Amino acid sequence: MLSVRGLDAGYGRAQVLFGVDLDVADDSVVCVMGRNGVGKSTLLNTVTGLITPMAGQVVFDGHDITRRPAHARVRAGIGYVPQGHESFAPLTVAENLNVAWEAAGRGPRTLIDDALELFPRLVPLLGRNAGVLSGGQAQQLAIARALVSNPRLLILDEPTEGIQPSIVAEIEEAIATLHDRGIAVLLVEQYLDVALRLAHTVTVLDAGAVVHSAAREELSEERVRALLAI
Amino acid sequence: MDAILNQVPIGIAIGAVLLLAALGLNFTFGQMGVINMAHGEFMMVGAYTAFVTHAWFDLNPDYALLLAVPAAFALTGLLGLALEAGVIRHFYGRPLDTLLLTFGVGLVLQQIARDVFGAPNVDVPAPAWLAGGVDVLGIRLHHARLFILALAVLCVVAIAYYLNRSRPGRQMRAVLHNRDLAAITGIPTRRVDATTFFLGSGLAGIAGVALTLIGPTGPTLGHNYIVDAFLVVVVGGLGQLRGTILAALALGLLNAFSEFWTDASLAKVIVFVAIIGFLQARPQGMFTVRSRALT
Repeated sequence: MLSVRGLDAGYGRAQVLFGVDLDVADDSVVCVMGRNGVGKSTLLNTVTGLITPMAGQVVFDGHDITRRPAHARVRAGIGYVPQGHESFAPLTVAENLNVAWEAAGRGPRTLIDDALELFPRLVPLLGRNAGVLSGGQAQQLAIARALVSNPRLLILDEPTEGIQPSIVAEIEEAIATLHDRGIAVLLVEQYLDVALRLAHTVTVLDAGAVVHSAAREELSEERVRALLAI
Repeated sequence: MDAILNQVPIGIAIGAVLLLAALGLNFTFGQMGVINMAHGEFMMVGAYTAFVTHAWFDLNPDYALLLAVPAAFALTGLLGLALEAGVIRHFYGRPLDTLLLTFGVGLVLQQIARDVFGAPNVDVPAPAWLAGGVDVLGIRLHHARLFILALAVLCVVAIAYYLNRSRPGRQMRAVLHNRDLAAITGIPTRRVDATTFFLGSGLAGIAGVALTLIGPTGPTLGHNYIVDAFLVVVVGGLGQLRGTILAALALGLLNAFSEFWTDASLAKVIVFVAIIGFLQARPQGMFTVRSRALT
């Protein structure tokens, strides 16, 4: 579904990624891990079109999307939940979902109902401004907003970071449910136990390059722990 | 006492024009971080559109003004669109460069106005139905000022509807709040920018038409209002409709009253001192978006 080849990317002259290869097969969950500052978010930002790579290729569904603008990638079927559970603060929760649903080309209206069914905590908050939500609520809204564009690949950047444990469990459950519905997932996660529960493949980045990548069954947990240790 | 009270409608009329000018600036400055110094010249173009409707097309002044409003909106809107696509688009993220460039574009527009219409002010006759006025509680309300107020109210209602109830308006608010987040939500941010520039510039054109009713129409007309319009944006708060309305009214009234008691230059000093004082107390402007975020 998603194939990244030889990706070099960064900010201005500061190169962060060096020749990264990454594959997300249909119907699979891939988890990218690594210490802070190794380029995980840069990789996701390049895949979603916020950063134009210096070299390399991003192929989605057989189409080279390396130079496509970010909004076109959403329409193509890539949903992105960036780090920091951000929302459009001045818009209400309902407007946040609406604006995303409209922008993605107005799929079936049931997409919004489905997203709310997945995160029932959002229903009583629909008329509230998104800026006043708590971290956990905001993260659920951020995922719901990505879902109403009807993605076939959902990309999440540390969806459980800084969120209370009870909601972390809900979010983890939601990701598993989405995978069951046939959505492929590309996930950046700091916690190995979460990654091992969700992912089929774990890829570890270090200093902007892939240093380890294996299916969950073949994964050397010790090696991953060593790579993640500070 | 009557003379003092009569400053109120003058102040409100100035405030209404400032509001129309500032709404457009607020959009372009708030959403794109672009300081468009040519915005005042867009007002000038709007004013000359009103002049042209009767001077060139020889339309009856009684309805020429009503025709000039949509014509000025369309003309300056297209001008803004051209400026965005031709110049500003290539300088995003470089606010000082765009400031200088648009300042230059403003000077060019002024010179074109001089070449086409001559340097002296031109006369734009007001429609007969705007002559005269009504007396309310001893205050003389000129029809022309009431018309400007009505025009501003109409524009604000239209803008509020657009922002809150329409699909492109929602997209505009989303881009205004967070451009990257909007892009990865699927919103074509560049197209939204172009629309924003069209609307903002078009409003400046309408403000220009309104100005022909209360002041002289000349090539440098915009210059006198651009600074005040920016002050309204800063005082009102970015992306805030309520704040812009209140700030425009306050600034219009402050202008009218201080000009009444002193003279034009001292009035400016008073206005600036008042704004400096206000911004010391509330640097974020009158209203901001309520959010749990620290920034």
